Amino acid sequence: MAHQAHAYHMVDPSPWPLTGAIAALLMTSGLAVWFHQHSMILMAIGTVLMLLTMYQWWRDIVREGTFQGHHTPPVQKGLRYGMILFITSEVFFFLGFFWAFYHASLAPTPELGGCWPPTGIFTLDPLEVPLLNTAVLLASGVTVTWAHHSMMGGDRKQAIQSLTMTIVLGFYFTVLQAMEYVDAPFTIGDGVYGATFFVATGFHGLHVMIGSIFLAVCLLRQIKHHFTSGHHFGFEAAAWYWHFVDVVWLFLYVSIYWWGS
Amino acid sequence: MAARLLLRSALRAAKTCRAAPVPALSRGMAAGGIPTDEEQATGMEKIIMKAMKEGSDPYSILKPKAYAGSKADPHIVPSITSQRIVGCVCEEDNTAVVWFWLHEGEAQRCPSCGSHYQLVAHELPH
Repeated sequence: MAHQAHAYHMVDPSPWPLTGAIAALLMTSGLAVWFHQHSMILMAIGTVLMLLTMYQWWRDIVREGTFQGHHTPPVQKGLRYGMILFITSEVFFFLGFFWAFYHASLAPTPELGGCWPPTGIFTLDPLEVPLLNTAVLLASGVTVTWAHHSMMGGDRKQAIQSLTMTIVLGFYFTVLQAMEYVDAPFTIGDGVYGATFFVATGFHGLHVMIGSIFLAVCLLRQIKHHFTSGHHFGFEAAAWYWHFVDVVWLFLYVSIYWWGS
Repeated sequence: MAARLLLRSALRAAKTCRAAPVPALSRGMAAGGIPTDEEQATGMEKIIMKAMKEGSDPYSILKPKAYAGSKADPHIVPSITSQRIVGCVCEEDNTAVVWFWLHEGEAQRCPSCGSHYQLVAHELPH
């Protein structure tokens, strides 16, 4: 190991940043082509390239960290900072949509009838499925913490069970929310109410799906013995992301479903 | 008499159990099924883990020790080659750093504040 006198990881050259950038280009220009020329092929190629990039880049990170031991304490610290900064940027992303909602709902315009909810909008009862969804996500927060403590305590069986339970609860939320979407008495086109409702809850649902996939990858890695009782940052990052998704839901529930009804 | 026999054999059994206690594995693959870093760490992570346990810091992860900088207690500068650049912040909050090459051999002094610096050979684990 005489080739480096520091504990950091100087990554080997990799094609994935380039393929990722090309994927972003094809997806965005493909979106424009879809809008104007009714062809989805460019967008589809971009999406496939993005998925391949994500799979191979993260696979390489697992190889570098778990199989080659490059994730020393300073490297892990950097990864922690990175995840925290990323989640912070996501907080600001949602902050924008909450701003839009409160801007529209605190001073409803005459076009809406000067009231919130606007005239003609029949809101969802916050004490029905939305409340169940709240319970489901809170429970999933408990199970993911259970999984973490099991992992730290060296209990493989319980770690796998509780992590599976977390993913199941995540899917349950997604299914329930999808059913709500189908049966809602209003659409995204129904004025500012519909727009703020579906954009905010829609992006949240997307983040639930992303979080569920992240947790599922962690479950697969846990089964394959990647994690040790002292070093399992991939799982911690997934758990942080999951808690963030839960907190966003709590804000959505209180603001849009409850106060906004 | 039977009771005394029973008591004596019970005492002997208890003594033999205590004489050779079996160390129960409380962590790791054998216990709960999740490996420990001790069992599974590899590469650089393992090297650093082992070094930290022995109390050494070959990759300079920790803050350098504070030295007085006097002739008797010079700043110890580890180096993998025969010279290393030193940047002396003579007084706290100084914005002008004094840079100079420190060579092996006798301790050198900072040209500005006169603190002593001594180059020391540093071995990397391999």
